[in-house]
Order: sequence, then C-alpha cells, then structure tokens
Amino acid sequence: MAYAVKFEDVSKQFRKGGARYEHFGTRVLSAPRRAMKRASGKQEPPRGKLALEHVSFEVPQGEAFALVGPNGAGKSTALRLVSRISQPTGGVLRVRGRVGALIEVGSGVHFELTGRENIWLYGSILGLSRSDIRSRFDAIVEFSELGDAIDTQVKYYSSGMQLRLGFSVASHLEPDVFVVDEALAVGDINFQAKCVDRMTRLVREGTTLIFVSHHLPAMEALCTRGVMLDQGTVQIEGSAKDVLAHYIKEMESRRDVTRLVNNNGRVRIVSATCHAADGSERYSFTPEEGLEIRLKFESDEPLKEPHIVIGITDGRPGGLIEISMLDDGSAPESVGREFEVRCRIESLPLRPRLYEIWCDVIAQDGYGSLMDWMQIAGFRIDAPIGDGKKAIVNAATAGAIAVPYLWDVRS
Amino acid sequence: MTTPTPQTPVESVFDGKKRPTLLAAWRELVLYKEVVWSFAVRGVRVRYKQAALGVGWAVLQPLAFLTIFILFFGRVVKVSGGGTSYAAFALSALVPWQFIASGISFGANALVNDADLLRKVYFPREAPIFGAVLSVIPDLGIGLILVLLATPFTGAHLTWTLVFVPLLCLVLAIIPLAASLPLGAMNVYYRDFRYLLPFALQLGLFASPVAYPVTRISPNLRPWYALINPAVGPLEGFRRVLAVGTTPDWGLLGISTASALVLLLVGYKWFKSLEREFADVV
Repeated sequence: MAYAVKFEDVSKQFRKGGARYEHFGTRVLSAPRRAMKRASGKQEPPRGKLALEHVSFEVPQGEAFALVGPNGAGKSTALRLVSRISQPTGGVLRVRGRVGALIEVGSGVHFELTGRENIWLYGSILGLSRSDIRSRFDAIVEFSELGDAIDTQVKYYSSGMQLRLGFSVASHLEPDVFVVDEALAVGDINFQAKCVDRMTRLVREGTTLIFVSHHLPAMEALCTRGVMLDQGTVQIEGSAKDVLAHYIKEMESRRDVTRLVNNNGRVRIVSATCHAADGSERYSFTPEEGLEIRLKFESDEPLKEPHIVIGITDGRPGGLIEISMLDDGSAPESVGREFEVRCRIESLPLRPRLYEIWCDVIAQDGYGSLMDWMQIAGFRIDAPIGDGKKAIVNAATAGAIAVPYLWDVRS
Repeated sequence: MTTPTPQTPVESVFDGKKRPTLLAAWRELVLYKEVVWSFAVRGVRVRYKQAALGVGWAVLQPLAFLTIFILFFGRVVKVSGGGTSYAAFALSALVPWQFIASGISFGANALVNDADLLRKVYFPREAPIFGAVLSVIPDLGIGLILVLLATPFTGAHLTWTLVFVPLLCLVLAIIPLAASLPLGAMNVYYRDFRYLLPFALQLGLFASPVAYPVTRISPNLRPWYALINPAVGPLEGFRRVLAVGTTPDWGLLGISTASALVLLLVGYKWFKSLEREFADVV
C-alpha cells in the first residue's frame, strides 16, 4: 500500500525543561558552576522529555487518518514533525508531497496584515505560485464567509473569524497531505459542519488527511484508519473503528468522574460504568443487546426523592435520548449518603457510532439541581454498515436513530 | 476555477541525524523565494502602515543624524570633509550605514517577531531574515535619492563614478545578512540579545568610518580595519562615489567583500545547524 507519511522508529526529545529559552547572561554566569559540576564528575540532568519514543506507523495515501490519544500523548508533536515545523531527534520520517497544516487557531496568520494579505502570505508559504493563489482567491474568501472583513487587519478579528480564514486558506490550497489539529474547537456549529464537509470532499479528491480532534464522532465519520498514541508510544494501529473503540475503552477505564470540574455540588458522582447483560463491564454494544448504566453517587446528607436524569447523545447539541425519573416518577423515596443507581436499557435502536452519556440529579420538588449536567461516560454501538453504496465517510454523519422501515417505489 | 498546476508528490525524508548541506539549504531557499518575497513585502507594509510619517521615516532618520553630526563633528570637533563639505561627507556614509543598522535590527529580530508563524508553519527558517533585510532596501533607495537631491546644498562633487552605486549596494547588502543570521539564531535562544543589539549598533556606528574619514587610520592598519569591520570598504566606497566623485578604494572594498562573504557563509552554516530546534525553543 502506498503511504503518504511514514514514521520509522521516530523519536522526539525536547530540550531540558521543555521548550523554553533562558537569558544569555544567566548562561554565562552559570558557566563556572556548570564547569565545576562537570569536573566533579556529576552528570548533567537528562536532556529533556521524550515526546515521542520510537514511533512507527504509516498513513496510507488518499485516506483520512485519525490520530487519537489522551492529553500529552504526543499527537501534536507528531503533527509538527509531519508539517516540518519541528524535526525528529531520532529515526526517519518520510512525507510524500506538499503538506498543508492547520495547527491551533489562526495558524499561519499574521496579525498586522489584512485577511487578503494573509491569503497571499500563507499561500506562498505553502509553496504556491501567484497565479495558483489568484485562481483560488475568490473561493477562499467565499468559503471563509468573511465578506468585507477580508480587508481588515487580522488583529481585529474574533477567534472564530481567524479560524475561518486559517481553515479556508489551508484547505483550498490543495495540499497532498492536510494536517488538522483541534482546529474545529472554535467556530460555530454551521462552520464546523462545513469544515467536516470540506475535509470529506478533499479526501474524496485524493488528499491524505491527518486529523486530530477530541470530537470523536467527527473523527469516526471521516477517518478510515488511525493510530492511538499514549505517552509517546503507539498503543494500537489499525482501522479507525478499532482504534477509536480501543481508545474509548481505554479512556473509559481511566475516566475519573470524581475529578470533573463541576463535580462539587451537594451530590457528587463517584463512578459511572457501562455493563452488558451478563454484568461484565463493556463499552461497545450491538443495538439489540442494550446496556446497563451503573452510577454511584455520594451526597452531603441523606436525600429524599432524588431524581436521576440520564441523557444519551452522539455529540450533536441536544440529547437523542433522555431517561428521567422526573417523567416516570420512579425516584426512590429516600437514599443514604452513598447510593448506587442502575439503569438497564433493553435495546438501543441506534446507528453505529460513538455516544456520550450525560447525567444530572434534580431535587425532591422536581426543580433545583443537586448535581450539574455533565458528561460522565461514553460507549459505542457496533453494527455492520448496510450493503448500500453510501460512502463510508458519510456513514456516521447521517441520522443516529435506526427505525424499522419499508420502501415502496412505484412508477 | 482553473485547474491547479499538477504537483508530483516529492518525498521528503527527515532523518533525526542528518544535517542538510549549505548548498541544499540554499536550493531550498530559492524554491521558497516567493515566501522570502512575501516576508519582504509584508515588512515594508507593516513598517509604513501604522507609522504616521510613513515613508518620511526613511528621510528623517539620516537627516536627524546629519544635523547632530554637522553640529558636533563639523563645528565643534571640526572633522575635515576631505576635499568636500562635511555635510556631503557625512550624509554619503550615513545613508548606507543606516541601511546596515536597520537591516541588522530587523533581521536579527525577524525570527522572534515571527515566533507564531515559526511554531505553526514550515518554511526555511532563514526566510524571515532574508525578507527583513530585503524590506530595508526601499529605505536605502529613498536615502540615496535624498543624497542626490541634497547635492546642490551639500556641495557634493558627482561624476561618472555614480555607476558604481549598484555594485556598492550589492556588497553593502551582504553585511546585514551576514550579521543577522547568527544574531537572529542567538536571539531565539537568549532573549537578552534583543536589548544588547541597539547598544552594539551604536558602537558599530563609531567603529565604522561614518563620522570620521578612513584616512584618520594609518595606511598600514587600513586593510586590517576593512577586514575586521567589513562595513569599512563599502562605506568608504559610497563616500568617494557620492561625495568626492572618485572611484571606490578597490583594495579596501575587496578585503571587506571577502570578509563579509566569509562571515555570511560561516553564519549561514551555523544558523542551519541550529535551526531544527527553533520551533521548539522560540
């Protein structure tokens, strides 16, 4: 299989204390001390943190590739190496073709210049000739929705506008390898959808996409293959589906709900797990088998009639499913300072993808929350994608609910 | 939309151990000439966009220095203009010196000023420095025009030797480049270079024959002077061509050119050996 990017035993070590500069004066003044240290045979402390440790994987040509991992796993470092911003300290990295990178908001954007001037600057940085840029100019401006603001200095832009400019430029200059890092975090829902759409189209036209995001549903929608990094090493490489399944399982087992920022109310969640019918802990299910959610809470004092509300969503705003004791009136009469709630969902008529579980606790009267609405767990639904001709990349952006139906075409 | 020029995917290999040769680095910079050009254009735009006086700065700076020089060196210390008025004598060297000084100060700070770009996009790391030095060239042009326009007032003697001006400009341009590459690299690692620089440039003004004639140095020391300070050759050349009306001192110019070129090569090489860490450190 042809590759677009290939990591061969790549390592990246940062300087001591991470990326930081020191004063030349300090360096000169500390020279005698360092010399004495060396003379007394003491070793200097090790050179710094290993961000990537003997990493090897391949990104196939013309595919969307998911790069996942917890914070500090080395994802951004890997992307920086691919886009040549930073250089490996060991191993060999091969990249075929021109790389367009969108790293952080507004990357490649200069604040003193107008949007228009930035398009020219960034275009030339990506290695395009003036005529190449001219031919794409109108499309870029149109996609960015900046309108008249294109002649305003970028420093007066909002972060959303900067993102729109950055994404529009990077995605229209038709790189062979398009690297996108967490860029979708800003920007409204419409623009996010537009970006996903644009990336889908680029992939269909043969661009290789390397995608880093914490928005797992979008990643699963786009990517066919992927790799999971953890603490600078490859955990698993394979189909995006397998990688994301592994990632979510790994993250769920590490998820510590007690450390959620909002988890400091009168009622706090202690643990949230998903279980199969036989009681074993699991995070991937088929639609038929359903799942059981087990929640453990602690409270400042014994409670009367706490109402538990559970929501399930695929990452889009608004819940898909809400299961609420406010509706069914099944709130327990009273519970102690520690209590466990189990909710068995018999079947989940959902299409295959990743879902998030949210939860809050409402007081006895049916209003006033004892625990804030927060995401406490996640799971995925696995099911074979049908025999139709739908592009794989679209399989998970469409509707989430599976209903029984029958076509009848007459003519 | 017209179809884009087809690009054959060229494989780039980044080896953890190999360093690029100087020739390969230069070839890559040539590939990225549009980027250098963009940095240069941007430099000029940014500099004049928010300045109230705009292009006037390029005229005002040498004139302000000239006034001080005339008052102090011309009247008080009574430095001789060596065959021409002190005003013509001082202005003819002040303008090229100003180019060197602003070239170095923009060039050496280019990487730090563009730290954001450096961290987020790839381009040859010397591109902003080359761009910054290029962006000062319009100032030099304006300054030279000022010298010519001021001729009736300063009493400079101009002859056919003006044809050497482009050659002198070429040699002159090597100096800020040669100085900015190592200084710019140091600036990335040690931020105090930024504060050291204006001070060093002021010293440089008095270490170069701007306020005084090179003839104040004894003849057997002059080649060494031109060797240690490569600004000596072109500055003296400009003075002869723009004020006195004779040909440049080819000996001094040759020595200075050679010295500047060696500095450039060594500085470039050093820059290239450090550049791979810039994005991590800056």
